[in-house]
Amino acid sequence: MLKIIIQKELSIYFRNLNSIFLPLVLFFLIISIFPLVLGPEKKLLEKIIPGIIWITTILTTLMSSNNFFKDDFNNGIIEIYLTSDASVELVFFFKIIACWIFTCLPIIIFIPLLSILFDIPFNSAFVIFITLFIGTPILISIGIFGSALTIGLSKNNILAPIIILPFYIPVLIFSASAIDSVSIGLSYEMQIYILLAFLVFILPIMPYLLKYTLRFSINN
Amino acid sequence: MNISKIANLKFFYTRTKNITFFLSVFSFVLFSVGIFWGLFIAPEDYLQGNSYRIIYMHVPAAWLSLQTYIFMAVTGFIALVWKVKIMEIASIQSAPIGALFTIIALVTGMIWGKPTWGTYWVWDARLTSELILLFLYIGVIALYASFKDKRQAVKITSLLAIIGLINIPIIHYSVEWWNTLHQGPTVTKFEKPSAHISMLMPLLYMFFVFNIYFLTVIIKRIRLGIYLREKNSKWMEEYRND
Repeated sequence: MLKIIIQKELSIYFRNLNSIFLPLVLFFLIISIFPLVLGPEKKLLEKIIPGIIWITTILTTLMSSNNFFKDDFNNGIIEIYLTSDASVELVFFFKIIACWIFTCLPIIIFIPLLSILFDIPFNSAFVIFITLFIGTPILISIGIFGSALTIGLSKNNILAPIIILPFYIPVLIFSASAIDSVSIGLSYEMQIYILLAFLVFILPIMPYLLKYTLRFSINN
Repeated sequence: MNISKIANLKFFYTRTKNITFFLSVFSFVLFSVGIFWGLFIAPEDYLQGNSYRIIYMHVPAAWLSLQTYIFMAVTGFIALVWKVKIMEIASIQSAPIGALFTIIALVTGMIWGKPTWGTYWVWDARLTSELILLFLYIGVIALYASFKDKRQAVKITSLLAIIGLINIPIIHYSVEWWNTLHQGPTVTKFEKPSAHISMLMPLLYMFFVFNIYFLTVIIKRIRLGIYLREKNSKWMEEYRND
């Protein structure tokens, strides 16, 4: 059962390769707009590039998690999930992981290229890599929670980001400060540990929360 | 009289009409007294002069903004778990009041900040988390407004409020931590000396008054919510015609 669901999720993403490439292209496009707006001055860009990377990641994850349940909702699969005997929490867990693999992992993989483009020193690039690796699953699962809250609505494009962006703030603060610390030569372990704490707190809870939320969102 | 009877929508609606009138007058009188006490009787601050007097609006509003969020989440929790209708109404109807308190706290804080800090806004921890609180309220209100089925909407906003209540301390402490990292010039320099009793008493009094005001408005808004939900029911028509 689980194997089938994982295979189904993966094949949906693989069949529609746009869903992998478009977030990545969007990510690079937004990032390359920033120097155009702020000017090519190297000192300034060096200082704000971690923030830019994080803001861009947020935008990308928001867009890709916004319609997370849309197809399953329109097909009626979610009702089947919720009424079936199968462990729906596990299904949701793997769906979150699949969504992360196909929308965030490409971005994370391309961080080395980005560090060449912006001439980020290795230390900072490494910490950006680590924080994105730990932070994006949190962002994705919160974003999916937002999409579960608004699934019953026909026009929810801008509502879900408004609801969930405040919940992103702690992750952002600690990631940005980890990158900040390493760029001025301080230790950054503490921030990484806190991010990890968020991750291990949110990832097991989220499937149950999603199940509970979807029960309310689609019972009419 | 027991709890379940008060929770009955009809009972609540028909019995609270006179209470709200009484409470409105009561809170108006108390508020006037508090304003007079705070603005004229309380002594002048040796450091900030008369400009500090805005705290008699600012601080109670800030406290109430948080208290209202707790109210919203707790009533939402009761509504979700025990399916009490009146708690559903209370939960969602408290959201605009909380947003109003948050806006009052922000605006009075900005007015106070200009003469004291020299600027209307600084990215200080408290200001930032208060602003985020406003966004949380707006999220709840917007989510409620976009649903057609209001009973379903209340369940979802209650869930959001509960999650938000868990998140508020996390957001607050991370913002505070962020602020101490990016050390702003304003926070420690103007740290408030412990207030004298003659200044503190009107403040506590105003906190009490704001609570009475909250009680007044929440009862009125619950009545409004009951009316909107039950306007086509028989008892409501009978009551209206009386």
